[in-house]
Amino acid sequence: MRTSVIGIGLVALTVGAAAHAAGQGLIFDARRIGMGGLTLGRSASLVRYNPAYRAVPEAADRRGRPRVTIPIPLGIIQFLHDHPHLSTDPAFHRDSAGFNPILVANTLLNLPIYLEVKKAPTPTNDVLFRIGKNELRVNLGAAAQLVPEDQFGFGGSSRVLDPGLAIKGVRVSVLGWLHYDLGMQLGDTLLAFLRDSVPAKDSTGYSVLGSGIAEGGFAPTISYSGRIAGDSSTGLYLGGALHYYLGVAYLRSNVTAGFRTDSVIFGGSNPATPFDSGLTSYSKPGNAFGHGVGGDVGIAWISGPIELGIGVNDIGATLTWSDTRQDSVFYRDSSFSKPVANHVSTTTKLPVSYIANVTYTVGKTTLGADVLNTGRGATVHVGGEQRIGLIAVRGGVARDQRKRIEFGFGGGVRLGALGLDMGFWTHTNSLSNERGVTMATSFSIY
Amino acid sequence: MRAKWLWMTWLAGLAAACGQGHAIFDVDVYSFLKGTGDDSIAYFVPPAVTDSASSTPRRIDLPGAGSSIVDSVLVNGKVNFENQAGTGTIGLQLYIDSTAAGTLNSSALALTVPDANVSGNVPTPDTIIGRLSSNVLSLLARTQIWVRFQAKGSNSGAVLLQGSAVLKALRLTVVMNDKFF
Repeated sequence: MRTSVIGIGLVALTVGAAAHAAGQGLIFDARRIGMGGLTLGRSASLVRYNPAYRAVPEAADRRGRPRVTIPIPLGIIQFLHDHPHLSTDPAFHRDSAGFNPILVANTLLNLPIYLEVKKAPTPTNDVLFRIGKNELRVNLGAAAQLVPEDQFGFGGSSRVLDPGLAIKGVRVSVLGWLHYDLGMQLGDTLLAFLRDSVPAKDSTGYSVLGSGIAEGGFAPTISYSGRIAGDSSTGLYLGGALHYYLGVAYLRSNVTAGFRTDSVIFGGSNPATPFDSGLTSYSKPGNAFGHGVGGDVGIAWISGPIELGIGVNDIGATLTWSDTRQDSVFYRDSSFSKPVANHVSTTTKLPVSYIANVTYTVGKTTLGADVLNTGRGATVHVGGEQRIGLIAVRGGVARDQRKRIEFGFGGGVRLGALGLDMGFWTHTNSLSNERGVTMATSFSIY
Repeated sequence: MRAKWLWMTWLAGLAAACGQGHAIFDVDVYSFLKGTGDDSIAYFVPPAVTDSASSTPRRIDLPGAGSSIVDSVLVNGKVNFENQAGTGTIGLQLYIDSTAAGTLNSSALALTVPDANVSGNVPTPDTIIGRLSSNVLSLLARTQIWVRFQAKGSNSGAVLLQGSAVLKALRLTVVMNDKFF
C-alpha cells in the first residue's frame, strides 16, 4: 500500500525519536557496539568530558585498544542494494505516489552505516477520523503510543578543534564550542486529542510548546592535567580547565504554535485557525561577543586493575550577550515578526555535562561502566570483554535517554596487528516502540 | 491559503502515524443537515404518476485529504418515509458533487436507496446501506462537497400520495490510501 504523507505529526514523532538516537550517539566501533556502547580506554568521550584523562598515559590502558578502527559499512551496501537508484527512488520523492515518509524518517533516525538485522516494526494500523458538523475525533490506534507525553527533544554541547600548546601539563588553547537544544512538548489538549482520542472541542486551542537555542563561539582556555600522586601503574590524576567563553552568535526562540478550532468545528470553510506566538532573541555574528567564564574539572584514579574517573564540564558557564535583539513572532493570517527590544542584554547558559566511569581489568577480562550526561538526561553503559586466545567475547547493557534498556553483544578475532570485530546492539531509534537490532563490523589495527 | 495548508499538515501528520495503514474518515453527514430543513423532503405524487422531489443542495465541510486516493465509501443511515396519504413506493437518491449546481446533474448520483412501499398515514422506517458510486469517490478527498437528496415516488393508488422522507441518520465511511500532498 502506498503511504505518502508528511507533516507536523511525523516531524514530532521523528524529532522525539531523534532525541533518543542522539542520546545513544553515533558509534563507529564494533567493539563498543558489542559492549552496549561502553567506553573503554582513552576514547574521545573520556578525554572530552574528563580533563584529567589528558594526563593518563596510553601505557596505563591495558585493554588492547586498537590504534585505528575502520568501520565496515555493511549497512550502506545493504541500503544501496535495496535502493540502487536513490535519485529516482519513488520512496524518497515526496511527489511520487510511492513516497514513504516512514521509510525516510527511519532512514534518518538509523543512518544505514551498520546492517539492520532486525528492523523495528512500525505500527501499521488504520487511523480513524470521526467527523461531524461539530465533531472531530482521531483514533491513532497502536500508533498513539508513539505520541510523546513528556517533553522531547535533543541537545548538547560540542567542542570543535582545540589547538594549543602544552608545557608540563599546563595547556593554553582556543577551543571552538557549540551548544544546541531543541525541545517540544504537546499541550494538554493536543496530547489528549492525539494520545487518548479525546474529541476536539470547538473554540479550543491545540498547541505545541517549542523552545530552541543554538549558540557558538570560541573560548581561550588555560588548563592543567597531571598526575599528582603515584606512578604510571598506580596514580591519581587531576585535571581542570578555565574557559573564557566568547560567543559569536546565538538564537533562542520560545514559541507556542497550534490551531484553534472554529466555534462550530466544521460549520464553515475554516475548521481550524493556526496560531503561533513567541519570543525570539538573537545576536548575529558581527554584534558584540557574548562573554562568560566557566570551567571543567576531572579526576582519574588508576590503581592496578581498577580505573575510576569523574569529569564535569562547563561549570558555571553563563554567557552575557550585550547586544541582543528580541522579536515577538505571531501568526495572524500569515506570520509576522515585531521588534520588541534591541541592543539589550540577555544571558544564556551552557549545560553542565558529566561523565563517570569505572573499569576493572583482571587477566584477560575487562569490565566497565560509565554514566554520561550531556545536558539532556543520563545514558548508562555497563559491559565487558573477555579475551580468549585470538578471540574476544563482549557483552553489555545500556540505558538510553529514553530510559529504555538496550543490549549489546559481540566478538572479535585478532591476528597480529589486525583485528576484525562484530557487535550487535538493540535500539529504539525507529518510529516504533519495539527494538531493532543493528550489527556493526569494523577492522582494528593494533 | 496558509491556514488551510497548516490544517492539512496537521492531518497529514496524524495520518502518518498509521504507517502503512489506511486513513478512515467516518463522516456524520446527518449532523450537517439536522435542523436545517434539508433533512426532510416533502413529496406529492398524483395518481398513476412517477414523480420526484428534492432537497436543496447542502454544503458539507471536511478536513480534506489532498491527493489521497479514496478506496471506497460505505454509506449507512436511516430514513423515515412519513406518509400522510395514498399508496405507492418511495425511494431516496443521494447526489454528491463539488458544486451545488453540479448535484443537479445525473452524473452526480452517488447512491440509490431501493423503493419502499408506503401506504396511508403510517410511517415507514427504512435503512440506508450501500457503497457510493465510484464516479463520486474522489470528491470525498476534498475539503468541501455538496449533497442533495431526491425522493422518487410512484403512486399506485387513486388518491394523492403525499408525505415526507425524513432523514434520521447518515454516515459515510471513507476509506482512503492517504496521500495528503
